Amino acid sequence: MSFGGGFLHHPDLFPGRRSGEAWGDRGVTLDVPGGPYRFSGLTAAQEEAVRRRFGGLCRPVVKEEGEGEGIATAVFRAPLADFLEIDTRGWEYALDLDHTPLSVRVAGLRLMARLDWVPGLAGGLWTSEAAGEEWTSVCENYLRLLAAYRLLAAGGVVLHSAGVTGGTEGSDGDGAAAWLLLGPSGAGKTTASRLCLAAGAEVLSDDLNAVLMDRGGPVVARLPFTGDLGSRDDGPGTYPLRGVLRLRQGPREELAPLSPAAALAALAAAAPYVNRDPFRREALLAVLERLARAVPAWELTFSLRADLWSILKTLSK
Amino acid sequence: MSLARLMATAWRQNLLVSVLVELTYRCNLDCFFCYNDLSLKGEPLSREQYFRFFDELRDLEVLHLALSGGEPLAHPDFLALGARARELGFVVRIKSNGHALRGELARRIRDEIDPFLVEVSLHGATAATHDRQTRVPGSFERLLANLAEVRALGLRVKLNSTLTAWNEGEIEAMFALADTLGLPLQVDPEVTPRDDGGREPLAVTPSRDGVLRLFRLQTERGRASDAIIPASARSADENVPVPTDKHCGAGSSGLAVDPFGNIYPCVQWRWPVGNLHSQSLRQIWQGAAGLAAVRELTTRAKGVVESHGPRGFLLNFCPGAAAAHTGDPLAVYPAALQRRELLEQVLAAEARRPLLPVVR
Amino acid sequence: MTDIHPSTVLRRRPDVRYRRIEGEAVVLRQSAAEVLVLNGVGADVLDLADGRRPVGEWIDVLAREYGADREVDRETVMRDVLDFAAEAAAAGLLEPVTAEDDG
Repeated sequence: MSFGGGFLHHPDLFPGRRSGEAWGDRGVTLDVPGGPYRFSGLTAAQEEAVRRRFGGLCRPVVKEEGEGEGIATAVFRAPLADFLEIDTRGWEYALDLDHTPLSVRVAGLRLMARLDWVPGLAGGLWTSEAAGEEWTSVCENYLRLLAAYRLLAAGGVVLHSAGVTGGTEGSDGDGAAAWLLLGPSGAGKTTASRLCLAAGAEVLSDDLNAVLMDRGGPVVARLPFTGDLGSRDDGPGTYPLRGVLRLRQGPREELAPLSPAAALAALAAAAPYVNRDPFRREALLAVLERLARAVPAWELTFSLRADLWSILKTLSK
Repeated sequence: MSLARLMATAWRQNLLVSVLVELTYRCNLDCFFCYNDLSLKGEPLSREQYFRFFDELRDLEVLHLALSGGEPLAHPDFLALGARARELGFVVRIKSNGHALRGELARRIRDEIDPFLVEVSLHGATAATHDRQTRVPGSFERLLANLAEVRALGLRVKLNSTLTAWNEGEIEAMFALADTLGLPLQVDPEVTPRDDGGREPLAVTPSRDGVLRLFRLQTERGRASDAIIPASARSADENVPVPTDKHCGAGSSGLAVDPFGNIYPCVQWRWPVGNLHSQSLRQIWQGAAGLAAVRELTTRAKGVVESHGPRGFLLNFCPGAAAAHTGDPLAVYPAALQRRELLEQVLAAEARRPLLPVVR
Repeated sequence: MTDIHPSTVLRRRPDVRYRRIEGEAVVLRQSAAEVLVLNGVGADVLDLADGRRPVGEWIDVLAREYGADREVDRETVMRDVLDFAAEAAAAGLLEPVTAEDDG
């Protein structure tokens, strides 16, 4: 199927530029890693819904600094008639992406979006959702993608992973560092997160975490995007990255180091959105190679009774 | 009486004849030199407001209604508004980039709107040039396929183009392509600033040589078509100067509306003279101080053009473009002066042509 | 060519668009992409050609209108109107309404 056909009635009319009719004149800035991300063209209800969803990460757009600050996304109206009615029961939602050297087009449930490098990154989001949870979902799905691209441009990466840390109160001195447990949906990220939580660890997100390349080495930054475990927003925003583990569920615990090539492959497989983009592949591999050299990588097979947190703590020694 | 004479009457008596409606600034292409002001904000007109507006246009006996954009097909109510316009008896024109003009949508446009004309933009004679201007890869191939499809459907199509530094090298090929497609092609020799005054589009202003080549080509093609239409078939008073009090019909016989209900004297002249959210068209038409000022300016513009001598009309002066270029709707801008100079050259060469072909 | 009598009922063809300016009319026949200018009587006839009134009624209306101030007799009006109606039908501006259309 050609781009957009799974979501849109008229893929031919997909916006070729960031233009259209805004929903309103409100705006909000989100302090999420890679940002700030500035949304404009919102109604009061849309702004309020974003604030409810992202809480303390939100701040008002300051008019004077507003124009130059952060990654701008203009939000526009799209009629409901633009979107196909989709029965989502038993259906796995994946955004439809179309890549070119200077832009990415995105089609999804009640959303069309485009990211343009002009030359800095700027976004446009068209939706039929004026308020409520549907709007919040549209906004979050878009922001996940935007953050992935933005962090890549900044030399970082978003990883499909569970981020686990001992928190600031860890007793062995390694508590402030974090581990990333990599895996696609179903690999056991949420299960592993629950096991670690039960053992006294903290979980940053059981779905998406950001890695930034700091001078002292890679650090994990908390993203407000979680899986089944729900919102996790305690503790500081960044932690030094101690290592990455590719997850596999099995009958018993087994830990095997990953070769540099296997680590790179595991990281690439876990980098959502950008790993399908042929025009940013080199940039992604460069970031992941640095990451793979900077921290150790293992494959961890675990059972539902595993004391995962103990294994991780052993590894750090 | 000629059409020109009637139009002059409409200008003089402020009889609204033509209205251009920019339905949306959403667009599925991203033309480099697009004139739309994308920073413009406001509440878009609702379907009901458009219906009321169209009723007012009917009451004012408007003849021509152009649906434009952005890409008008991207407006949620495009088909409904077009059908209503047809029902009310307007001569409907659609100004589209043609990218989505195919399949079910094209068929419904024919059946539900039955437009008098669909005006489609051609940006070059090759994919490299066309797609460079639209900034959407594949748009040229798509356009050619769509043109074939809509012609087969029986829609009347005209090609519009703007001469730019990027396409001036293939202007002959563009006319040849239009001929092959069996479609008329109209080329505007001038790139104008954006509606917000932004000058980025001027980066692709065509060269002097490019404009000259276009004028020569248009003259040659005009001569060829003159040969087909015998002079006797033309109306007797076609060449008689028409007495007018104004330079053009901006704000007198024509108006433009943006997606947020702002009314302008003309699509080129972006001086808002009212807004449909707060006023009816009749109130604006009869009472707007801005519109009175525009009418006064078009009267003075006539004097400005006449001050350039009997061939002042070769300036093809546009007060709206003047306002965009200089801020002053009465300032004759360099592109107009160049146009007159180059047209003089072309006409002088024409005058030297032998009346009968020389047998060699 | 359509034979026009006072009892003939004519209407504007659906592709005809026009507007009046100073008593005259700019007429656009869409299917032929043709623009015509009609004089005052022609414009009046376009107004009257609603597909309901027979041509005879147009003659009455126009004779009253023109007869009063221009001292034109009904015979002259009838001749002009019938001629024009035939021409307009031949030019594709008007078409007869048949019993089928009514049914």
